[in-house]
Parts: sequence; C-alpha cells; structure tokens
Amino acid sequence: MVSETETDGGAPDSAPVETVESGEATVTEEGTELERSIGLVGGLAIGVGTMIGAGIFVFPGIAAGRAGPAAAGSFAIGALIALLVALPASELATAMPKSGGGYYFISRSLGSLPGAVVGISIWLGLVFATAFYLVGFGNYAAEMLQQVGISTGGVIVPLALVFGVFLTALNLLGTENAAALQNYVVGLLLTILVLFLGYGGLDAVGVFGSTQTPEAFMPFGPMPMFTTAALVFTSYLGFAQVATVAGDIKKPSRNLPLAMVGSVLIVGVLYVATIFVATSAMGSEALRMAGETAIVDVADKFLGTAGVVAILLAGLLATVSSANASILSTSRAVYAVSKDRVLPAWTGRMNLKYGTPHVALAMAGGPTLALVALGETEVLAEVASFLHLVMYGLICVALLQLRREDPDWYDPDFRVPLSPLVPFLGAIASFGLILFMQRESQIIGVAVMLAAAGWYKYYAGDVRLKGDL
Amino acid sequence: MTELAIRQPPKVLVPVKVLAGGSIPDALVRFLAPAEVVVLGYHVLPEQTPTEQADEQYGEQAREAVADIAAAFEGEGRAVETRVAFTHDRDETIERVAAETDATATLVPNPTGELDSILVPFRGAVDVSRTADLVAALFSEREGSVTLLGFEGTTDAVDTAHTTLLERGLDPERVHTEMAEGESSVREIAEYAADFDVVVMGEGGPSLLASVIGDDAERVAAESFGPVLVVRNRD
Repeated sequence: MVSETETDGGAPDSAPVETVESGEATVTEEGTELERSIGLVGGLAIGVGTMIGAGIFVFPGIAAGRAGPAAAGSFAIGALIALLVALPASELATAMPKSGGGYYFISRSLGSLPGAVVGISIWLGLVFATAFYLVGFGNYAAEMLQQVGISTGGVIVPLALVFGVFLTALNLLGTENAAALQNYVVGLLLTILVLFLGYGGLDAVGVFGSTQTPEAFMPFGPMPMFTTAALVFTSYLGFAQVATVAGDIKKPSRNLPLAMVGSVLIVGVLYVATIFVATSAMGSEALRMAGETAIVDVADKFLGTAGVVAILLAGLLATVSSANASILSTSRAVYAVSKDRVLPAWTGRMNLKYGTPHVALAMAGGPTLALVALGETEVLAEVASFLHLVMYGLICVALLQLRREDPDWYDPDFRVPLSPLVPFLGAIASFGLILFMQRESQIIGVAVMLAAAGWYKYYAGDVRLKGDL
Repeated sequence: MTELAIRQPPKVLVPVKVLAGGSIPDALVRFLAPAEVVVLGYHVLPEQTPTEQADEQYGEQAREAVADIAAAFEGEGRAVETRVAFTHDRDETIERVAAETDATATLVPNPTGELDSILVPFRGAVDVSRTADLVAALFSEREGSVTLLGFEGTTDAVDTAHTTLLERGLDPERVHTEMAEGESSVREIAEYAADFDVVVMGEGGPSLLASVIGDDAERVAAESFGPVLVVRNRD
C-alpha cells in the first residue's frame, strides 16, 4: 500500500505515486483513495436484481403465447448467449476494472467511434430497459389494486409514470443504504421464487397427482423459439451492469467474473424453470391471455390467494429493483461517456449537497418517462435488447482484437476458456439474435446508433480513446 | 519497568469529513501534539455516485482542505501523513486506513475547549496496557487529570492501568480512579463523559447492536458532545 506524505516537507518516500490497486481501494495519480465497497454478494445482487424483474414477472405470458412451451428453450438460448458474452466481459473487466463497463472496453480497444456509438446507445438502451421495467411495475401495481377491489381501467401507464418520477427523485436526493436494501430484496425474491418453483415443479412432474394436459413443445414450429429468444433477451441485460460499477467492486479480479457469470446462471435457471412450471400448470394459451402478469395466475392455481399475494409482492419488488438498478446504471453510463468528453462535461456534474450526479440522473429519468408513456412493452424490450446486443457483440470483438494485438497494458487476471471460440461464438450469437427481432425494433435500434455516430462526428470527432487507460 | 505496549510515538488517525467543512479544534491539535498524526479527509457518497466522479470534481478541494488541517498539526512539530478518500462506506475506509497506517488510536472528533481532564472507562475485554500507554504518552507532558473509570468486573483493569500510568511518570495526584455501580453501558459512560473534556476508550468488539446504531465510541461521542479517542486492538 502506498502512503502519501506530500505534506511532510520532502521525506524520502514522497516520490510521485501512480494509480495503485489494492483490491480494497484505488489510489489515483493525485493520491486520492477511491474505496471499493461492493463485495461478491453485492455484485451478484446487482446482476440478479437488474435481471430478475423481467424474465419471471413480465415475459412468461408473452413468451409462452408466442412460442408455446418452447419458450423455455427461448430463455435457455438467451442464457447461453449471455454466458458467451459474460465470459469475455469478465476478462475485459478484470483487465480494466474501471466504471463504465462495455463502453470503456470497446472505446479502449476498438477506438472512439465504436466506443461513442456504444456509449450513447447503451445510455438509450438502458432508458428503454428502464421504461420496460416500469411498465412491468405498472402492470403489477394495477393487478395489486384490482386484488384489493379497486377497479383499474387504464391505470398501468399512470402508475408506471408516477413511480418513475418517484425513483428518479429518490436517486437525485441520495439514498442511504440502498445497496444493503437491494441485497435483502434480491434475497427475499429468490426465496419466494425457489419455494414457488419448487412446489410448481413437483406439481408439474405429477407428484401432487393433478393431471396435466400434455401440450406440444413447439406448437408453432421452431422459428418462434428464436424470435421469442430475441424478445426475452431483455431478461439478461443485467450482468453487464455489474461491469459498470467495476470501480466499486472489491477484489475485482475474483469478484467481477464470479458476479457476472454467477448472476447469469442463477437467473437463467430460474427463468427456464418458471416457463416450465407455468406452461405445465396452465398451458400457453391461458398464459398468453393473462399477459404481463401471467405468473400471478399460475400462483393462484397452485396456492390460491396466499400465492397470489406473495407473487404480486415479489413482482412489485422485482420490477422496482430492476427499474432502479437500470436508472443507476444509466447515470453511470452517461458519466463514463461524459468523462471522455463524448458528451459535454456538464452531463457528468454532481452536486455536493446530495452527492448525486443530478444531470446524468435526469438524463436517465427524463427520457424514460417519455417512453413509459408509450406503454409498448414488446417494442421497449426489443429495442433495449437490440442496443445491448450490439454492445455485447462488440465486447466479444474487442476481446478478439486485444488478444490479437496483445498491448502491454493488457493483463487480465481472468482469461476466457476456449478463446477464440467463445468470444467468436458470442459475437455471432449477439449479432445474430438481432436478426430475429421485429422490424420496428430493428429500425429504432439502427436509428439510435446512426444518431449516436452522427453526434460523435459532430461533437466529439477529435476524441481519441484507443489504448487510453 | 514494563515494555511499552504501543509504538512510540503513538500514531493517531484523525478522520475529517473534509468537504462538509469538517475541521479539528486547536485544543485537540495541541492535545495530540505528542503523537504522530494521520489526517484522513474523507467524503461519503451515496451509492449511485461513482467515487471517481466525485474525485474528478472535488478531489482538488478535498486535498487542499486536508493539507490545511495537516499544516495545523505540523505547527506542533510532528510528522503528519495525509490521506484523502472518497467512499460509499465511511467505517470501512477508516478501518482500512487505520490498519494500513498501523494507527494506535482513531479519533472521533467533536468540538471542544481546552482538554484538561481525561476519562478512561474500562469495560469488558479491552487492552489495558495499550490504553494506559497511550494516555501516558499524550498526557505526561501537560497539565490536567486522568480519571480511570471501572465497572463491575473491571477492577483489575483499573488497578493495572493505574500502576502503569504511575510507572510512566504521571504524578499520582493527577490520576484518579472511580468505580461505577453496575455493569458498563454506553449511556453510563456518556453520562460520566459529560463532566470530562475527552474520553479515551478501547474499541468494543463487533456486535450486532453496533452495526445497527453505530459503534460504542461514536455513541459516547454523540451523547457526551466531546471528542473520543478509540484505542485500536492489537492486530
């Protein structure tokens, strides 16, 4: 550990200090210490907490309606792709444990233009994702109101808007112990889900003796399984968010890979199990009819009112935790880009009173509310996935590039097994999945990327980032 | 004469909430003059703010403020080490820096006037010799009185400390002992502390209560409105 002795009048050990990592804190060139305060559990909670809201509490009905029981396969495909990206992302994150995540990796290895496109797209991609989670929350809040007997015609979007404003304000004013709370929320969610899926799983294989109607695994053929995979990929957008807080993770060389890969595995298993249980219990047509809150109907069938209340509560918690985690990631994404002057420096300003980056948070919350007002779950989800998948694909390309160039500074503690096969497949799969999306989402996604590239040319064309660590 | 149980001179970690205008009263600077001082200027950020972001914008300001505080200590002629940290978890940062610098004690600063009377409560399993040696090191060259406060079960500790202080050359007339009735509690200590200028106490072990409502020394400091010096356990 370095001790700074700049004020004791030239003691022999007051030589200039370079950035030093101890696993507990980063010491900057000026000698400021940046404490790393998120451990493995916290990292996993960020990953799981961001992801779990969508896959279990929003998608089962929509996905089963599109692909039938094969929707379980869609989620498995998503998990596989996420893993293929999580491994290269882990390697890059241990080599560059800085906040900024995918944007940082890509801008440093592939250059400023791809970096800027990804940085700006991921800001907007997260905005789409946040809007999607908030609409999901609106659905659960409306369903909850209905359970207690309040009629709920068309309140989903207003509820989502109100809560979006609330979350943004909460983050602007600073939150005490939010991370600890997040850990408990995720723990509670996992408990409810494991109990629910355990019971449902036993029931589905006939332990409780109820008869199931066998249903064709792919009632609509194999193609919907892939298009649905493209849609539900939004359920796997959280693992890279762990990398956006890489600067805060303790012992990053160990905890970053574990948190990223671990959170994908945890949610992947839960998603596949959820779809299996849900389609076994109700059949995909009934799930489709129930829409975003289909899982509530499944709980009703298994456990009656108690199950409904538990799942509604879990759904509210999960969608809020996903939305909140995404708002935070968005503000970090904006900061990472503004720090490199790809966005104006003032977007990265923070205020001392509340200690929060108010401009970046407003840039997260503001556009989100506009998108929530559209209320289009599927388009929101796909555009979010589109923009993330572009980043994921480029993360894999970045890894291939770095492995080939092997610059001096590149010294990751974690190395992807089976390279270059894994990053190569990861890139192909990420870009390939985009082709299965709806035309509308593809157009919006491409438009966002072109706009980002245009912005770069107009505003930041002279910024050079490759290799600038 | 028994061997010193602390490094000589002792090293005291002085954490300062540096961007919130935190400063160290002159009386406290003089009180700590016999010790080496590590000034840790810290700023706690909410979780949504990257430490890097705060450093970029406020690092300069924080480093200057810490240098000012360090200059005050240097005026007393001791070597001062400075550290500046941005963190999401204050306790973790203080604990880390204390361990890295091998500090003898950590200060919980509070506004104060002249420091002429020290209260040294002994409760539970504290390192008596370290506490006594620190008191002796800080106090042998100045005026004022030391009061050793014992509770049920810590009579021996008080006796040992008393002997040590006299061995280290403190005038017997300046060292008093007092026994409180019943078992020790933070409230009890804080009540006593109100009549003294500064408290020197051992760090309690980690407890569930401490993690919920803050550790004992901080509660004593909050309730007695005076500075508290917490003697770190030996590693």
